[in-house]
Amino acid sequence: MIEFESVAKVYEGHRVALSDVNFRLAPGEMAFLTGQSGAGKSTLLRLILGLEKSSSGIVRVAGSDLSTLSGEKLARYRQRVGVVFQDPNLEYDLSVYDNIALPLRISGFSESEIPKRVKAALSRVDLSDQANASPRFLSGGQQQRVGIARAIVHRPALLVADEPTGNLDPELSARVMRMFTQFQQLGVTILIATHERAVVDSLPFRRLVIENGCLVSDGMGPR
Amino acid sequence: MNRWLLDHSQAIKDAWKRTADRLTQFMVLVCLLGILLAIPGWLAQIWLSMSSLVPEEAVQSEAIVFLNKELDVEVEARIELERVLSEMEEIERVIFVPKTIALKELSVQDGLGPIAELQANNPLPDALRLKFSIRAPKVIENNILTTLLADKRVLSLRYYPSTRVQYASLVEKLGLLGIGLSGLAVLGVLMAVFLVAAADVVDDQRRIELYTLLGASKRFIRRPYLYRATWLGILSGFIACLVIISLNELFSVAITSNLKALDSSLKYLPVDGRTFIGVAITALLASWIGAERAVSRRLNALN
Repeated sequence: MIEFESVAKVYEGHRVALSDVNFRLAPGEMAFLTGQSGAGKSTLLRLILGLEKSSSGIVRVAGSDLSTLSGEKLARYRQRVGVVFQDPNLEYDLSVYDNIALPLRISGFSESEIPKRVKAALSRVDLSDQANASPRFLSGGQQQRVGIARAIVHRPALLVADEPTGNLDPELSARVMRMFTQFQQLGVTILIATHERAVVDSLPFRRLVIENGCLVSDGMGPR
Repeated sequence: MNRWLLDHSQAIKDAWKRTADRLTQFMVLVCLLGILLAIPGWLAQIWLSMSSLVPEEAVQSEAIVFLNKELDVEVEARIELERVLSEMEEIERVIFVPKTIALKELSVQDGLGPIAELQANNPLPDALRLKFSIRAPKVIENNILTTLLADKRVLSLRYYPSTRVQYASLVEKLGLLGIGLSGLAVLGVLMAVFLVAAADVVDDQRRIELYTLLGASKRFIRRPYLYRATWLGILSGFIACLVIISLNELFSVAITSNLKALDSSLKYLPVDGRTFIGVAITALLASWIGAERAVSRRLNALN
């Protein structure tokens, strides 16, 4: 699903963010991307989301070389990817329902299809009773679940999460991780960037470790 | 189609929300743009009003070209000269005035007609009366006259320059000043809309990044901003017309009242239709282009 071939990213001023990164993530696989702050995790995710182009090497997702995509094609590619942020990034002027429906409206789903999908997504994150609530009145954990529902509502083949449990307590973190595990069992490819050791150590998934822009370790978790 | 309508209605809702959130800023901008756009609008209104009121004689120069009596083959030479002059773009009409007619005209004026000797031995030359085009510039008219004076078929000539030609340089300077002011005003409108739209986009950066990540196309993201710019253009165009009407009533009463007397339709709409349409289109286009450029620049930087 995701393929990095000798990928490097150098920013202006010759600051090397990534250097010679090589890995493959198979469809339906789940992996953690770990490393210290500033190690290059966010840059790697931005490359996968097409927000940056690599300085050299090839980033391929679902067979598409992302460096060749631009404009409408890039937008359509992003419509097939789910993204979860550390801060759920919700629109407070919209209801929970409308926040979750946003990717569907952007992707051009029909109005008859949208309620079904939103309902299913709300049920997956146990928020069926909050559909009409305003996100500003939800707890941090509930907001994060709304963010997750928004990421999966269009049933993406790839889910990318950037520190999804960064603002949550251990109990909520565990709950969110369980959700990701369930999605992975449904065949979604998942890449989670996190620097929380406890989260990574608790789950038996592949672990990619980045240090100073280099992939220094690629192996299975402790269990 | 249904999706298209839904997307646009959503964009209109977003644009309305954005406008309502910053209503004071929006209204100040509308008034500012209205006043800026009123400058070229008012100048255009004065220009158009003046051109409707100025009689044709004031903008059309004339010349009487007296033909040489000593020409060998008089008729052919005169006809050839008449043809050459008629083919010139800058000359609208060439009228041949035979010496007999000229003498009759003079007779009416000074009573010399009945003198039989004058009729038998007419001392006047034949003449060509030239009416220059109303668009002929002063330089071209002068060039034609110089050429004619150097022509051996021409005895002499009398030139009656139009008021337009007499005041050509002053009018030209005023025209350039008007165009310059208008250009600056339109540029000011563009810059104001650009800066405000750019500030809006910076304010909405988090939202734009989110929409980009969710796969929204640039067109989708741009839409609410363009709707807002459209409203801005319509309202500022309306304000500009109100300002033009006020300026007319305050500073160009004579022109306005003359125009109303000449053109009954202006009794109900005290702005010339061309000015109205010109200001409305300029307001709309300037707002739209300013906003489009600002948002596109930001989106391109993001992608």
